[in-house]
Amino acid sequence: MNESAMLYNYLLIGGVLFALGLIGFMVRRNMIVMFLCVEMMLQGISVSLVAWSRFHDDWGGQMLVLFIIAVAAAEAGIALALILMLFHQSGTLDMAFWQDLREEDQQAFVDHKVPEDDDRDRIWPTLTPAGIEPEVDPDEQLHRSKI
Amino acid sequence: MTPLPLLVGQFDDLLRSPLCWGMMLGAASLWLLFSGRSHALRVMGKVLGGISLMMLAATLMMVGDWSSQIVFCFVAAVTVVGAGAAVTARSPVYTAIWFAVSLLGTAGLFLFQGAQFLGVATVVVYAGAIVVTFLFVLMLAQPEGHAPYDRISWATFAVPAALVGAAAVMAIVLTSLDSLRAVDETTPTPAIAGSSQHMAELGSHLFAYHLVAIEVVGTLLMVALVGAIAIVLQGRKSAAESTGGAAPLPGGRVVPGGGGLPGGTR
Amino acid sequence: MTDLIPLSTCLVLIPALPLLAAIVVAAFGARLLKEKSHYVVIGAFAGSFLLSCLLLLHLTATHAASSEQGAEPTRGFAQVVPLWTWAHVDDAYELRSTDPATAPDVGPHDFHMDIALRADALTAMMLAMVTFVSTLVAIFAAGYMHGDRGYWRFFAYVALFVFSMTMLVSVTNFVLLFVFWEAVGVCSYLLIGFWYEKPPAAAAGMKAFLVNRVGDFGFALALFLIWSTYGTLNFHDTLADGTPEPAASVALNGIVSEVAAAEPSVDVVRGVLGVRRITANDYVGGTVALAICLLLLLGACGKSAQFPLHVWLPDAMEGPTPVSALIHAATMVTAGVYMVARCTPLFMASPEAQLTVACVGGFTALLAGLIALTQYDLKRVLAYSTVSQLGYMFMALGAGTFTGITAGMFHLFTHAFFKALLFLGAGSVMHAMGNVIDMRQFGGLRKRLPITHWTFFVGCLALAGVPPLAGFWSKDTIVAAVHERAHELAHEVEHREHPNDSGPGHHGGEPVHQGANGAIHHFAQDGAWTQDGTTLTSVAWYAEPETAHRSSLDALSKTQLARYASIYQFLYYVALVTAFLTAFYTFRAFYLTFYGEERIPPEAAGHAHESPPLMWVPLVVLSVCAVLAGLAFDQTYLRVDPTHSFAEFIAHAPSLAYGAVAATKVPYEFHLLVAGISSAIALSALLIATYLYLGDQREIRWLKSVFDFEMIARNLDVEAVARWSRVGWIEAIHRQASAAHLGWLTSLLGNVVLMIVLVVTTPFLLGRTLSPYNLSQRKFYLDEIYFLVVVLPLRTLGAVCYVVDRWVVDGIVNAIGRLPPRLGALMRPLQLGLVQFYALAMVLAMLILVAAKMIWAAS
Repeated sequence: MNESAMLYNYLLIGGVLFALGLIGFMVRRNMIVMFLCVEMMLQGISVSLVAWSRFHDDWGGQMLVLFIIAVAAAEAGIALALILMLFHQSGTLDMAFWQDLREEDQQAFVDHKVPEDDDRDRIWPTLTPAGIEPEVDPDEQLHRSKI
Repeated sequence: MTPLPLLVGQFDDLLRSPLCWGMMLGAASLWLLFSGRSHALRVMGKVLGGISLMMLAATLMMVGDWSSQIVFCFVAAVTVVGAGAAVTARSPVYTAIWFAVSLLGTAGLFLFQGAQFLGVATVVVYAGAIVVTFLFVLMLAQPEGHAPYDRISWATFAVPAALVGAAAVMAIVLTSLDSLRAVDETTPTPAIAGSSQHMAELGSHLFAYHLVAIEVVGTLLMVALVGAIAIVLQGRKSAAESTGGAAPLPGGRVVPGGGGLPGGTR
Repeated sequence: MTDLIPLSTCLVLIPALPLLAAIVVAAFGARLLKEKSHYVVIGAFAGSFLLSCLLLLHLTATHAASSEQGAEPTRGFAQVVPLWTWAHVDDAYELRSTDPATAPDVGPHDFHMDIALRADALTAMMLAMVTFVSTLVAIFAAGYMHGDRGYWRFFAYVALFVFSMTMLVSVTNFVLLFVFWEAVGVCSYLLIGFWYEKPPAAAAGMKAFLVNRVGDFGFALALFLIWSTYGTLNFHDTLADGTPEPAASVALNGIVSEVAAAEPSVDVVRGVLGVRRITANDYVGGTVALAICLLLLLGACGKSAQFPLHVWLPDAMEGPTPVSALIHAATMVTAGVYMVARCTPLFMASPEAQLTVACVGGFTALLAGLIALTQYDLKRVLAYSTVSQLGYMFMALGAGTFTGITAGMFHLFTHAFFKALLFLGAGSVMHAMGNVIDMRQFGGLRKRLPITHWTFFVGCLALAGVPPLAGFWSKDTIVAAVHERAHELAHEVEHREHPNDSGPGHHGGEPVHQGANGAIHHFAQDGAWTQDGTTLTSVAWYAEPETAHRSSLDALSKTQLARYASIYQFLYYVALVTAFLTAFYTFRAFYLTFYGEERIPPEAAGHAHESPPLMWVPLVVLSVCAVLAGLAFDQTYLRVDPTHSFAEFIAHAPSLAYGAVAATKVPYEFHLLVAGISSAIALSALLIATYLYLGDQREIRWLKSVFDFEMIARNLDVEAVARWSRVGWIEAIHRQASAAHLGWLTSLLGNVVLMIVLVVTTPFLLGRTLSPYNLSQRKFYLDEIYFLVVVLPLRTLGAVCYVVDRWVVDGIVNAIGRLPPRLGALMRPLQLGLVQFYALAMVLAMLILVAAKMIWAAS
């Protein structure tokens, strides 16, 4: 096999993955999605590392990837716990909510216009209701609708 | 020789290559997908993305014979498409799913490289565990609908900024990769890729040279586990205090009533 | 008994016991001893006193032995007990001198400082006096301070105080003297400010400390000057560096006995007050001597409260009364007198300095006596009387004759008894009166406080100098010494005019410069070298030189001599006037307190009764001493073989035993004329006081109003002038003039008249402020003058410094401090709170770095 070609291709793909993750991190506002984007950047790095590992015929790269996976797992655990907590406090996953942490005299960022919800973007398939409709806790309802 | 003309010359080469145009198209497609408000624009973005993928594929080098090149291209396409879809998907759930798809592609790439253990580990740990955890949290936090902040991305200026930034990253990567294109010869498969005792060698290397790191990582995982639990418990307690002693609901959720929460929920 | 405890052990134990008591009380007072603290301290003081008596016995025995064995009647004796070496610097100073007096000292000098104690007659006398008075004061304080919150603290301080004082009088070099000089100052600060919650007490402590700083500064300068002049700070002779010790029995620990010092082969460093130097009278004269002596005098003025540094002592009354007694009688103010007496050979080298000492003393005595006349605070009267008596002592020391110096020390000795007695008596009064000390608020206490009354009466008689009490003898000796000095100087002038006419008190003739070689009688000694335990001791027998010394008066011209004679004559009159004042104000205070109608302040409503025995027993003991001290130690009144056993005893101190001062020794005699005059004065003052304060009070009021210019001031007051404008006809004229539009004229006229009247009355108004009574009452405005001249400029300087510090220095610092926030404010807009923005910034920064790296690599 052409090892240098292999390296070239892998590095290209790793770079694309990294860049996509970076774009996602900077553009998306959902905290969980942002976190996934970070994981994607890690994947880009991992791909490059494995390629380098093969190119240099050295285990080091693969070892590093192994540790990346382990650290990513730890990170995911902590980050998800934190996100969950933040969500408990604010009731939203929007990163922009936490811009309160800015300097005192800075202008707040305000969404001027939110595009309308597209039907085709509906995520959950609706089930046909069956049986008795469960009684909904009004507080719970109120709270959920804010999400 | 001053550095600037050299750099300019490199970029000049770059601008003529399909790679560069592929990147630019990709950037355009992402821009459309992020900021596109209408369905038609999104479709257009997807089409552009496809074209850019094609162009990128055209720049890929032959890794060996055609069959392996096709396999590689397929796996790479799954990875990149999955990643692109994950980033642009409006719903976070879809993001997670597409990310899992991208991970599968990555695992394929690892296998293609002969890093069997990593491929399997990626599937098991990442796709199997981490992404599922993400999904779980997503479901927990956001069980219905999708939030306005998922529908809009950052304000219009931020998207190009991000794209330019990422494009610059890619440009640097590619610039440095350019020298690799010149080399085109068949070399023997490295030992670590062609070994029949892959797992054994990996294991012996891991525990021979990285024993301490392994222990540290194990400890780290343990600490992270305890820490995650502690954070959640602590957060629950402080939330309960800040809501004036509102009892946690049976489901483990705290009703964020009152004005004690930052920003409020109304 | 004297065999049981050797002299050196006594000497070490005397200061050690109070120190031990201080440590024990300080360590265990708060928890364990509490109200029993005084047992430790009184025990230690009593032990020290007994040991001091033992020391006296030792010394008298040695002196007696020397008199029997030696041919010479007067002999110096000093024993140095070195404990350990404190500091040693090789070749610290190279003395270069052209003065013949210091010619043998030229060369490199080590800075060698031993912790060493010294026993000689002067030290022994001071030790006995200090420990005796301290013991009685401590016993009194046990009653007086009973129930005070800081009971144990008080006794710890007192023990430390006594330790410092005993060390001060027994150290053997100037540096240690300075150390304990300061230690005494610190202890006095602690004790005067003992009730530190009371602002006046804290201020008084501060004042005492700060005023003493001025004196100590002079003292320190004097030490530097002594060091650079004589190349050593030791009192005694020490072996020169590198000289082999002549024999084990001769020198130990580098200290040379005089036997060895007499050997020409032995190379010694001559101590400042060492015998070799004193006998040879090798003291630098002229300006250097004057400078040293004046600086030493400044130090002594600070400690002994002489003008112009006397202001702290009356304020020190804010401390507990036993402390006042201690300071005034034993521990603090006597330090200056002791120091001047100890440095007599230095002072002998400079007649100008001696004259200054005498003048300072005389002036202080008179000034303090005048101030004391009108004070209403009983303790303050006593304080000024102390200042006045210390002035007497300085006057005596300044007389510069053997008689004068011994008289000063004798007055110090007797004064300790009756002043302690008076202060403790005042303390007893205060105790009964509920801490009220203003004599206007109480009176007629003789029925309530019979014992205090009688003992106080004895103290007053002694202070007033009524024969045959202690004060009479010592004060009489001083007055006689000053008188004799004036007489002697006048005689000297006469002698120079008629050289053939010689008589007593003649010090002229050829100056005899005499070296150490061969002039000293070797004195056989047996068992003088002792070794007890680990303490090695060195004993020195000093023999007196045969030949006369050159007199320091030779340097003076005839006109100078004549001027000196007239000044000393004037001082003699000052002393007599002061004696009158002393007797007057003493009995004024006595009558105001104990006679007249009985008045008791409301503070003392329930407990105006005699003090407990713990307090009156020391009073009785002291009053016995005050009666007998003079008779017992001054036997000049004897018809046959008049002697002065006190002077005879301290004459054995090397400083007084040899050299110029010893040469001025004359046979003891009782000056009937001087004694008659001074007792007549004392009695007349007593009678006048009795008449004024026990008789009709109208006379004194009338006298007071005359002295105050009251009549004149009343009619020439500004307010009186202002009242004239309301006189009917003046007002009418003014109204008429106003109607004719000439109101401005009358106003102008009125103002001119007012101005004239003001100018005329100003001297009278000033005179009212500066009337004799007011001057005395307000202490001659000395405190106010000091405030204006010293305190105010310093405060202004402080204020200026504050302003500079607050606005300039702090301003710069604050400006520098404000710079980073300003710079930070520039970056603040970057803190948007948007996480993605931060990520973007990171990416961009990373890109810049990578791009830079690439450009770098490409080039």
